[in-house]
Amino acid sequence: MENNYAQALWRMIASGKEPGKVARQLREALTRKGRENLLPRIARAFKRIAEREQVRNTLTLSVSDVHPTHAKKEAKEILKAMNIALEDVEVRTDDELIGGWRLEGRESLYDASFKKHLLELYKRATST
Amino acid sequence: MDNTTVEKIIKEIERYEPKAEVEHVGRVVSVGDGVVAIDGLSKAVMGEVVEFEETKGKSLKDSMDPPAGGSGPLYGLLLNLEEDGVRATILGDSGRVSEGMTVKSTGRILSVPSGPELLGRVVNALGEPIDGKGPFKKPTMMLVERAAYGVIDRKSVSVPLSTGIKAIDAMIPIGRGQRELLIGDRATGKTTIAIDTVINQKNEPEETRPICIYVAIGQKESKTARIVQQLKEAGAFDYTIVVNAPASAPAALQFLAPYSGAAIGEYFMDRGRDALVIYDDLSKQAVAYRQLSLLLRRPPGREAYPGDIFYLHSRLLERAACLSEAKGGGSLTALPIIETQEGDVAAYIPTNVISITDGQIFLVSDLFNKGVRPAIDVGISVSRVGSAAQTKAMKSVAGTLKLELAQFRELESFMQFAQDLDKVTADRIASGQRMVEVLKQKNGSPMPMELQVVDLYAAVGKLYIEVPASRVKEAEAAWLEFISARHNRILEEIKESKTVSDALKKKLDKAMEEFKASHPEFFEQS
Repeated sequence: MENNYAQALWRMIASGKEPGKVARQLREALTRKGRENLLPRIARAFKRIAEREQVRNTLTLSVSDVHPTHAKKEAKEILKAMNIALEDVEVRTDDELIGGWRLEGRESLYDASFKKHLLELYKRATST
Repeated sequence: MDNTTVEKIIKEIERYEPKAEVEHVGRVVSVGDGVVAIDGLSKAVMGEVVEFEETKGKSLKDSMDPPAGGSGPLYGLLLNLEEDGVRATILGDSGRVSEGMTVKSTGRILSVPSGPELLGRVVNALGEPIDGKGPFKKPTMMLVERAAYGVIDRKSVSVPLSTGIKAIDAMIPIGRGQRELLIGDRATGKTTIAIDTVINQKNEPEETRPICIYVAIGQKESKTARIVQQLKEAGAFDYTIVVNAPASAPAALQFLAPYSGAAIGEYFMDRGRDALVIYDDLSKQAVAYRQLSLLLRRPPGREAYPGDIFYLHSRLLERAACLSEAKGGGSLTALPIIETQEGDVAAYIPTNVISITDGQIFLVSDLFNKGVRPAIDVGISVSRVGSAAQTKAMKSVAGTLKLELAQFRELESFMQFAQDLDKVTADRIASGQRMVEVLKQKNGSPMPMELQVVDLYAAVGKLYIEVPASRVKEAEAAWLEFISARHNRILEEIKESKTVSDALKKKLDKAMEEFKASHPEFFEQS
């Protein structure tokens, strides 16, 4: 029940409604129904949704410590196509990538790391 | 690393063009009991295969090593599409999945390899070989879930699928493309009938011999190993494929195994061949599906099974078909097995499967314990295809058999008042007792059609009526030996023509007289 309320609240706010007003209206509606004890649970569910959405929308760019500038330049091209500036992306250094970069977030994954390419080569060479 | 591999790697490097393609991904938010909740993958479709990315955060060397708990990539199957994510079942060792892991959409619906190179092999529910004989070279991939053929693509079932078991072939005939349920309590001989049917296909000409697929669901691995050994010893493994989802396998694989078996069989059916699939057993598949559904938080219904439990079995068994000539004329026969508890055939799953199939063979503990084996209760067993799937020869000898046996079962209870019975009733009981003896058959000894016809002809012709009931089996063996040794031509004629002509009947009557004269030891005591 609380998940459904929280989900509805989230959608209303995401569609541009004023958060304070929406929350007030929800509280009034629940009070009328005598269900105001649901409010703390709705708040917790709302927090979970917000955290999840934040993780979902965070873009992470992992670059290796070998030629990181070159990797960032390549990734920038992809980000440009997505209308995202490099400054809005969380950048990390990942030595395991060996070279290249990896961009993950918003349900998408671009893997241009050397590690991925080497693993693919290894699989193809050893599979037959 | 040997030189060939090094050379191969060099060649691959020379040809390699790195590409960064976008992949649709999600993230594992929770994992437990073989089920994962995934955040994201909003474009995924129901039944899609997803791949768990196990190499993230690992060094190249660690990524190259096979992971603990298995080799090759780890896949999952999407079974729930929800408001804020998806739920999938892990098709492998769930210990390899951890929270936060990236999950990639593959865009593929689950499929299994099939083809002639699977013959004589043991595979798991994903079609991966588990017999240590190496991978398949050029298999054809078949969709695990596929819509069944429609009415227009089918024709009526008319060709018999000989089981080699007299009681079945004579009274409950099974046709190619039919779905016949084997139902009974534990240890009543359900699997034995199924395996004997597989072994009996050896008697069929190679060009029309059905390809047999035995799907073991939730069985002990020792039992499956014993069955494989039995098939090998009987020379039946060359045309058989075993799909094994043992009790130790995850519930997801036990749920998928029958569909994989059907998909493997469909490969042969689509190419005009006949195939036989044995699902041993669907009760365990239903239990595995119940477990999955509850973990997927689907609402439970009767006996805690989910609401689509009927659809689970109907969509599987509907795939059995006898295709029209336009579709190649192939067939897929299904022999599902259901285990009952204390003979309760009115339970949820048994009634579901009874209503889906084209007939059922009931096996009863009481008969089994009395030594009547196969322990088929003829009175309540039925084949809805009926005599359409019987050779003329069998029809001519088995016409009244079922009725006579049913009458005998009715009168059996009066046997304790034997001295007070009138002659007609006493004769009917005596005849029934002998018929029951004749229909007894040892496991692993299916009988070719022509021998069955000759055997039943003698039984219906009252050859054994003068033989004491305790010696009927002995007399029967002697009769079959006699006819094979001295009148083999009769057997060949029946095999070729598949009928018992009047001339042949005369020859059989004469042979029976000869047998009586040459084996007085069976008839003197009466």
